[in-house]
Amino acid sequence: MHKMTSVQQAAQKIRDGRRLSIAGTVEALMQLPKGEWVGGSIPYFMGDEGGMVANADQVFVTDLSDLGQISVATYATADIHLVTERAPDNGLSLLILPCGSSVHRRFAAEAPNFKDAFLKPTVGWIAGVHLDDIGKKTPVVIDGRTGEFYEDRGAVLYLALPPERLVQVDILNLFEPESGDVIRFDQTAFTVDACTINGEPASLSAYVHQRGLAHGRLPLVGDFAGASINASLQTVHADHVDLYAPVFPGVDYRFAKDLPDYAAAFREREAHQSVDGVAFSCNCILNYAFGELHGKQIGGPKGPFTFGEIAYQQLNQTQVTVRLL
Amino acid sequence: MDLPPHTDPCWQRLATGGLAKLRTQHLGTQLMMKRMERSAEPVNVKVAEIQAFFAKWQKVLPQEVAQLARL
Repeated sequence: MHKMTSVQQAAQKIRDGRRLSIAGTVEALMQLPKGEWVGGSIPYFMGDEGGMVANADQVFVTDLSDLGQISVATYATADIHLVTERAPDNGLSLLILPCGSSVHRRFAAEAPNFKDAFLKPTVGWIAGVHLDDIGKKTPVVIDGRTGEFYEDRGAVLYLALPPERLVQVDILNLFEPESGDVIRFDQTAFTVDACTINGEPASLSAYVHQRGLAHGRLPLVGDFAGASINASLQTVHADHVDLYAPVFPGVDYRFAKDLPDYAAAFREREAHQSVDGVAFSCNCILNYAFGELHGKQIGGPKGPFTFGEIAYQQLNQTQVTVRLL
Repeated sequence: MDLPPHTDPCWQRLATGGLAKLRTQHLGTQLMMKRMERSAEPVNVKVAEIQAFFAKWQKVLPQEVAQLARL
């Protein structure tokens, strides 16, 4: 089960012993009883009526209890690398990290190098706040066992599957790279400026300003062996650029081609994909905001619009979907 | 389809650049390929990681497994 429910329904599930991952506002999460669940703050969702902002009476519940054995855990920055090592040999880790925290930044920079990162898939999302509250409130995760909220821990729900089942992780990235300038970086970083463009030393901020891309609607698209992995622009300063996900050395980046109608593009792509068997899905708050998806149906799976998505590593402006085979 | 034996020279080739020639649309495989390309770990460590990866996922990667011996 992966759907929006009332806080009362979610509370009943917890009391019934279901082991859950829950997304909602802090006000909603605070109302839930203690139990074997983890949660994260986010008010934006794709619901039955389209993109929406949840109130304190609603939460989005992912219940994998019938699929295998569930356990929950939290990790601090210093031990977040253990999230994959301690994952079940066959299964899934559904991880939530508070946006901007050190645990988020460490995971984003290092996850591909965590032990067993590609043997034990990690999916999930980056917790956030209402866009009007950025800088005023801090994203959090919650350990439902204690009811404690954390600004700098990751919360994970582990699903151990029987040997005959496997996890399939898919992404839907609407953005295609331009065919032009290739941008490369020499370090893993959320804040960048020095780069090479077509092999020549350059300033990313100057390039972005010169091309009129400082609005941030178009991400950098990295070529990861054919997979398009976005790093979205957060703020373009005079002499550096802040990103929502790190860029990596050894990866060719190009800016994305323009995307005039997100909703239509999503509908077209989602029309070719079944939602049958979806165990988990999330999408990006930037797609919600730039795509003006509030109140719009795009088809496809439901789920939170988050401050970053996780499919083995952190992504931006991408829909993540998990199925079990 | 069975994986090549652990002693097959293809694993060494895969760990020393051959993996970049693999054709796949499987996200986990693509991200693992990029990790291998960027990794400075010794070849034997890379071989072990690549072998473990395909041993785990071979059921869902028949087209990829079929390519391994010739890369």
